[in-house]
Order: sequence, then C-alpha cells, then structure tokens
Amino acid sequence: MNEALELLANPWIHGFVFGAVIVTALMSVTAYITWFERKFAARLHSRMGPTMVGPKGLLQPIADGLKMIQKEDIVPRDADRLLFNAAPAITLFFALAVAAVIPFSPGLLASNLDIGVLYALAVSGLMGFPVWVGAWASNNKYALFGGMRAVAQAISYEIPMVLSALVPVVLAGSLSIGQIVEYQIEHGWFAFWPPGPGIFAFVLFMLTALAEGNRIPFDIPEAESELVAGPTTEYTGIKFGLFASAEYIHSLLASALGAALFLGGWDGPFGIPVFWMLLKTCMLFVGVTWIRWTLLRFRSDQLMALCWVYLVPGALGLLLITGLYVHVRG
Amino acid sequence: MAVAETPPAAPVTPAAQATPIAPVTQVAASTGPLVPSGPPRDGPIPPIRAARTPRTDCKPTKAFVPEPHLDLSTYEADADLMTLSLGPQHPSTHGVFRVVLYLDGEQIVKAVPYPGYLHRGVEKLCEKLMASNITPIIDKNDYVAPMTNEQAVNMAFESLMGVEVPVRARYLRTVLAETQRVASHLLWLGTFGMDLGGALGGGTSLFMWCFRERELILDLFENLTGCRFHYNTHTVGGNRHDVPAGWPEMLHRTLGAIDERLDQYLGMLEHPIFSARTKGVGVIDADLALELGLTGPLLRASGVDHDLRRDAPYHAYAEVDLKVFVEDAGDCWARSKVRIEEMRESIRISRILVDNLPPGPICSTKPLKMVGQHKLPPGQVYVGIETPRGELGTWLIGGGANKGSSPYRLKIRSPSLHACAVIPYVLPGCSLSDAIAILGSLDPVMGEVDR
Amino acid sequence: MSAVEARVAQLEEIFLRFELKAESDADNKTGGPLVPRARHYELAQALKEAGWTSYVAVVASHWLEEKKGETVVDVEHFEVATALRSVGAGTLVAKWRVRLELNEDIDSLFPLFAGADWQEREQYDLVGVSFKGHPDLRRLMMPDEWVGHPLRKDYAIETGCAPWR
Repeated sequence: MNEALELLANPWIHGFVFGAVIVTALMSVTAYITWFERKFAARLHSRMGPTMVGPKGLLQPIADGLKMIQKEDIVPRDADRLLFNAAPAITLFFALAVAAVIPFSPGLLASNLDIGVLYALAVSGLMGFPVWVGAWASNNKYALFGGMRAVAQAISYEIPMVLSALVPVVLAGSLSIGQIVEYQIEHGWFAFWPPGPGIFAFVLFMLTALAEGNRIPFDIPEAESELVAGPTTEYTGIKFGLFASAEYIHSLLASALGAALFLGGWDGPFGIPVFWMLLKTCMLFVGVTWIRWTLLRFRSDQLMALCWVYLVPGALGLLLITGLYVHVRG
Repeated sequence: MAVAETPPAAPVTPAAQATPIAPVTQVAASTGPLVPSGPPRDGPIPPIRAARTPRTDCKPTKAFVPEPHLDLSTYEADADLMTLSLGPQHPSTHGVFRVVLYLDGEQIVKAVPYPGYLHRGVEKLCEKLMASNITPIIDKNDYVAPMTNEQAVNMAFESLMGVEVPVRARYLRTVLAETQRVASHLLWLGTFGMDLGGALGGGTSLFMWCFRERELILDLFENLTGCRFHYNTHTVGGNRHDVPAGWPEMLHRTLGAIDERLDQYLGMLEHPIFSARTKGVGVIDADLALELGLTGPLLRASGVDHDLRRDAPYHAYAEVDLKVFVEDAGDCWARSKVRIEEMRESIRISRILVDNLPPGPICSTKPLKMVGQHKLPPGQVYVGIETPRGELGTWLIGGGANKGSSPYRLKIRSPSLHACAVIPYVLPGCSLSDAIAILGSLDPVMGEVDR
Repeated sequence: MSAVEARVAQLEEIFLRFELKAESDADNKTGGPLVPRARHYELAQALKEAGWTSYVAVVASHWLEEKKGETVVDVEHFEVATALRSVGAGTLVAKWRVRLELNEDIDSLFPLFAGADWQEREQYDLVGVSFKGHPDLRRLMMPDEWVGHPLRKDYAIETGCAPWR
C-alpha cells in the first residue's frame, strides 16, 4: 500500500493515473449529462424524453454512443482529409485538458499548477480554433460560415471571461485555483464576499462561459436554423459525437471552474469535500441548461455588440473596483 | 400603346445605391440585359419599380434600397461575393424552397428565390376531376390550413353553379375557418420560434408548446370530421359532417384553454431577445405590400386596414362584429403581433358563433350519386376568401371543351406565392440571421406556393 | 351610398370610359369585360390610379378551335384575365379579360404592380403566354429545360418525362 502511495508521489505516474481517472469519469458523466438534458428539456416541453431504452431511458446514452460509432463515416470529396479527421480529436483534447487543473477536493486534482486559472482559460480559449480548422477543412459554405462565427465569438468573449476571472485572482492574490478555493474557505465565497464585484464577476463569468460553449442564446456558430449545423455540418458518426461531447465537457468544466472560482469550490458545511464541489458544478450546469432551453438566439452582430459595448467595459470596471478594494484593504 | 411616362432618371451609380434608403428610380436599360427569353419591347422601357418615399416611422436595417433585379456587376463589394444556396434542403425554408443568396460578408446583396420544387400540377389535375373530387386534393395545397382551402374552392363552385348554402353550414364554416386560423397561426408561431431559437434551444420549447395547443384543435376537427389533417368536410352546397353531440362544449374547453395561454405568447413579444431579433427587421412598407399583392397578416402588419372577412363578408362574418388588428411598423415584430392578436379574435368569434348555430340542414345539394350530377355552367368566377395567410382566390372557368362537371380551367391565387415574391425586396441589406427570421415571419406554405 | 356601391359606380365609370360594357356587379359570371389588347395596360393604370391598388391574379387559359359541325366557330386562342382589388372598406375586385390570338403577346403589368412578376412568370410557364416588358420572364414552376406548357389543352399529359435528377 505504501509502495503504491509512493509510486503516486511520482509526478508522472500521478498525472497519468489522475488523468486516466478524470478523463474516464468525464466521458461517462458527459454521456449521462445528455440523458439529463434530454429529460430536463422534455419536462420544459411537457414531453416525456427518452423512455424506451432501459428503465426511464437510462441506457439511452449508451445506445446513442453505439449509434454514433456505427454510423457511416463520410469525408467530403474535396475536404482536406488530414485536418478534417484531426479537428474533432483536437477539439476534444482541448476540452478535456481543462480538467487537469479543476480541484475537486484538496487532494483530488491532476495537477496543482501555480498558474491554474491562466492555464484553464488559455486552453478553453483554444477550443475555438480546431472547430474552425474542421469547418474550413470540410469545404462547405455553411461550415465555413459557422467556423468564422465561432472564431469571432471565441476571440471576443475570451476578453470579458479572462477579465471576470481576474476578479477572484486579484482578491485572493493567487493564480492557483487550489489557493483561491482555500482563500474562499477562509474569507467567504467570492460570489458573496466582498459584496459587489464578486457577484457581478460571477454572472459575467457564467455568461461568457455560455458564449464560449456555444450555447443558446449565444450559439450563433451552430445556429441550426441558419447554418444547418455550423462547423459540424459535414461531420458524421463518431466525429460529430466527439464535437458534441467536447461541447458538453466544455460547458461542464466551465461550470466547475465557476464553482471553484466564485462559489468556494469544495467548501461545504459537512460531509466530504468532493460532494460539495460536484453539487455546485451540477447546479451551475442545470442553470446553463435551463437558460439554453428557455431563450432565443441573438444575431451575430448583436452578440458582438453585447460583448464589446457592455461586457468588456463592465468587466474592466469590475476589475478596477476590485483593485481599489484590495488596495484599500491593504 | 400606353406606356408609363418614364421620368428621365439618371442611371443609378453604386455610390447612390450605398446611401441609406434613398428613393431610387432605376431604369431597366441601365442594369443591362436581364431578359434572355422575353421579346424585345418597342419604345422606352418603363422603370422596373416606381420611386417611393421611404417610411420614417420604422427603422429599416437595410443599407441600400433593395432591388429585386439588381445587376450584380454594378455592385462594388469589398471582396468577392459569396453565393450561398439556401435550400432546397434547409431547416428553415419551411418546405422545399430554394433561395440563392449573394453575400457580401454576412450581408445579403441579392436574393433570388427558386420555387417549384413542390409543383404537383394541381391545376391541371383539377381539369379532369369533379368538384367533389377536387376538394380532397385542394386540401393538400395549404397543408397547414386545409379547411380554408376547401372552402375557397367550394365557394367558387357554388358561385358558378348558383348554389345557395344553408345558414347552418355558413355558421359552421365560419367556426371551422376561425378555429383553423388559430391552429395555423399556432404552427406559425412554433416554427418562427424554431427559426429564431434553433432546434436545440428555447425555440423548441416554444414549438412544443404551440404544438401542444394545436393538437387540441386537431382533436376537435377529428371529432367532427374523422380526420386530423385533410378533412374533406366541405362540399358544393354545404358541409358533409354535422356537429356531433358535445362538440360545442369541447370547442369551448379547447379554445378557452388556448385563450388563457395566449397571454403568455403576447408577453413573449416583449422579451428583449425576441424584440431585438424582430423589431425593425424585414420592413415591408405599405406601398410595396399592396403592389406585391400581399394580403392577410402581412398586409395588416404593414399598416393597411384590409380584411376580406370584414370588408367583403362571406360565410357568417356579417353577423359578427370583427375586430381587425393593424400594426404600422411592417417588420417581423408587427407581423407576430398581428397574428397573435388575430388568434384571440378568432377564438372569440368561434365561441360566439358556435353558441348561435342555427338549426336546419347543413347541405343544400344531394349527396353525389353519379358522375355528372353537378353540371358546371359555362362562365368565369373569381372568389377570394381570407385564409390565415391572406387572400386565397379561386378563378374557375366552366364550360369550354369540358362540358361536364369538371372545370375547364381552375387557377388558385395563393397568398403564399406573393409572400415568397417579397423575398427579393426585403432580404437585401439584411444579415443571414435576419433572412431566416424574415422567411419565418412571412409564413409561406410551399405546398401552396408551388401547387 | 355604401362603400361597396361607391366602388361599383366608380368601376362602372372607368369601364365606360374604356367603352366597355359595365359588367362589374358581383353576380355576373363572365370574368369581366373583354378588353382590346392595346388598352390592357392603360386600363390597369387607370384602375390603379382610381384605387385598385392591390394585385390579385392573372389567369391565362388556352382555348382550342371550336367547331359546330363543319364550320369553325372559334379559332384556337388564349384568354388572359386580370384581377385587381381595391383595399379597405367596400373592397371590390375589378376583372377584365384580354383575348390573344396565337403568337400575340400581352403587356406585362410588372411596371405597375410588382406582384405581377411571379404571377406572369407562372402563366408564361404553364400556359405559354408571353408578357411583353417583363424584366425576367423565366419558368417559375417547371424546370428550365422543360418542353411545352402543361396547362395548354393540347398538352399531351400521357407523355412520359425523364426522371428528375
């Protein structure tokens, strides 16, 4: 036993084991998130949702996965084969890579980076580009349209997202997510304490996370009614599945990041820390899903206007107020 | 030979086109030969579109005056124009319809619609069929509102043959037409939500809610006629199915429930995202709407107070005090508002009339026993009625070589055809997202456009 | 005088101005008076100015040679009927017909009514009547390479066609 623990202390083995655990867990959780979202949306629509496969449709994600794998893998004749095939995998890679720095409990994280916040935002921001590569490689006008919109949106919304994530960084005085959580356990959650900038930064962060994850009301890259399926128009089978799961994982991890940065992470009144972290993540994800199935979509220019006219100045103002607060506090 | 007096207008330069909504008098000759197949015309060529003063009370999103027959060589784009074929297989064309968009970035420069993918030759087919056989075929034209289709064609036959419709049938037809209007507008609202919100989002929620209520109306019709979609309940001289026991109460229950939920839909119009997506988008001014022959909610949303149910009453519309809703803006929001208000008015009328159904027969002609029982006299009639989409006209020619019970020529003047004809005028200057919203707000049914 | 009666009187006055029999009441089943081809556009213009501002329909029909015994009563010809509508209270449809011999064309109403664009294209497509002055006279319903005009009475409906690609 001790030998095993010693083995885990080796950073390479530690990273490998935790990486394997987190990726496996995330992929299966993502599958069941689709089940949850379908049931949830069905309740909003006064429908039943999946009922036929397994009890209460619980085996539906497995059936979906099998279907995805079975489907014919079509590569358009004039597509750039290499990029077309690589894009879904790269997208999923970037989506999963964020998980490395999410602290689920004091000890349970793959890598306690000193610059965890920076790493998470940078990697999740990169997710837009393999999508664009795939869209360009499909040689389809709708896909190209969607890809261009995706890049424009990713670039624009990256700025308010980073600025709003800087608020807890400034307050805690650290870029490490673990230290930010510990600071919150000591001084109170940033969403509520100090009152003022924290809650606004939290709302801003979740809003931009919605936009980064291409979720309604910000799903203009995909925009089924306009662009058929946006960047993924030409993708079939498991490649499309990879894109879809990357999107879900992105939303899920953005919720987890929001929980860690603003809602005190694993902090809770009793019980094991992991439970509280997962509970907060799930609550945020339900909120995101609820918004998705309630609102209509913005137009692309309105989306950009919202970002550059309201969100970026607002985030800058928040950061300024936070800086003043920290300065006064000393 | 009378030709419109052509004012000596200067040829339009690209710079003039770029100025916001300046009235443009364009001469066809300046746009180059666009008429490959038309015969040459002697004398000066009249202007394609008359000069028009823009409305000031609404905010058009256009950057230049739309020109349906714009010569693309006169347009100066920053880069190459992108040609995007929207359809024939596309989630938001509401059927099989194709619009070729010429895009400058995301702005539409020119839109060329290509209907005809759903052409089934209904008019030709009608020349071989009797009136009673035509009804179920006409059902499939506007498959969203089959009741009003049947009424339009049967009224034309009644008019030509001089058949009087009993009072009870006229009341019943009015009730059916108004209930059908509610169902049709509900389907429009649902699909419009899909256009604005996508298949994986809030739009679907709206779609499902509207379908939930539309199902109730279909149940109502099934109870009456035995069919959910294509009813075949109207015939020359009246209706084929009388009201079953308990049907009026069922109608009151159904429409009462829908009426309560309409408040939620009206509230939705004020939602910031819905307003942002629809206000000032796709403005059709009153002159253009009239000239293009737009009718129904599209015309009323452009500020023209015109409704055949009130202005030329047929059925039992003369018996009720019909309120007509008019909006001035002419944009997608106004069209939504007009349709939702119309639903409420239709519900009110249906509930009044079903309570006052007079007793008596529902059909003045005997059931069809043999071929040739209904003789069509020679002559031509035009009958137009107000369907959920506007004026659905039937031009019926009897006699001729078909000296029997089938029409010599039957022409259907469909409101959706004119609604689609507006596309080249309103799409230019909008973005691709707006184009989808505009297409949805026009509420075309392709089965009716192509026939 | 009600709004409808006023419209009827106005329509009769316009028709009289064009030396046409005033056949404007709703009960007549002739499809409106026959107008000489040359005055078709002029009549539409006069009606538009008088308030018939909404475009309703154009209907072309094909009439085969009619024989009574051995004598030819009527030669093969086309008939193009047009309908306009006045808007608002007392709305009334103004209808008139134009007789076209074979190889004759009719003035397009597109300069007056933009709505005539697709309607005339449809009639050109299905019946084969040519509209002079239409800026874009292409087929609307049938494919561009289609041969023949399906709504003509001599159109062979039994003829097979190549499957649509």
